[in-house]
Amino acid sequence: MVCHAGSGRTDCALESMKNRLKVLRAERDWSQQDLADALGVSRQSVNAIETGKYDPSLPLAFRIADVFDLAIEAIFLRD
Amino acid sequence: MAGWNSMAPYMRRYSIRILLFMASYVVILTASLSFARSGAAHGQATKIGLALITAFPVIGVFWAIFRLLVETDDEYQRFLFAKQTLFATAFTLVIVTVWQFLQVYDVVATGPQWMGVIWFAMLGLAGPIARWKA
Repeated sequence: MVCHAGSGRTDCALESMKNRLKVLRAERDWSQQDLADALGVSRQSVNAIETGKYDPSLPLAFRIADVFDLAIEAIFLRD
Repeated sequence: MAGWNSMAPYMRRYSIRILLFMASYVVILTASLSFARSGAAHGQATKIGLALITAFPVIGVFWAIFRLLVETDDEYQRFLFAKQTLFATAFTLVIVTVWQFLQVYDVVATGPQWMGVIWFAMLGLAGPIARWKA
């Protein structure tokens, strides 16, 4: 969530996290279905996370990090 | 049955439950109506019993839908199902509210009825809306 203070009120807009899933998949030559199978979710779910339509829960983010053998912050970026 | 085998286990359980409840509904409704309209006089307790027995499979469908929300282990799919049920509930409330006021102003003779059926229809309508661009 990004908040801007101004004229006596705070405006907050929901913004999805950026992530490096597409790049990381490409480096390993994995399809969305390959990653979905590794995570035990649907391909539609991987696509939604990858394109920023859906931010995963912390447990799923940890599972994604485990699959890529990286830290969460190496996959999901602050903005 | 490639589609069935590729289906997630929670969807398979959901499909089996829905099929069982819908088949039960057809059998129970047919049998109960035949019994109720057989010409014999039935007591109030019997009529209440028939109403409860007929309602049971419909309640079962509601249970199956909400079990689906609990058992879906893919969180994005669960989010989409939850969105679909909320849309269905909102659409149903809109229809029922308008219908209620149509009755208040004597445009129609009877107020909202068969709300469960309306909700199921709205659930079907809400599916593609909830999944649009998902």
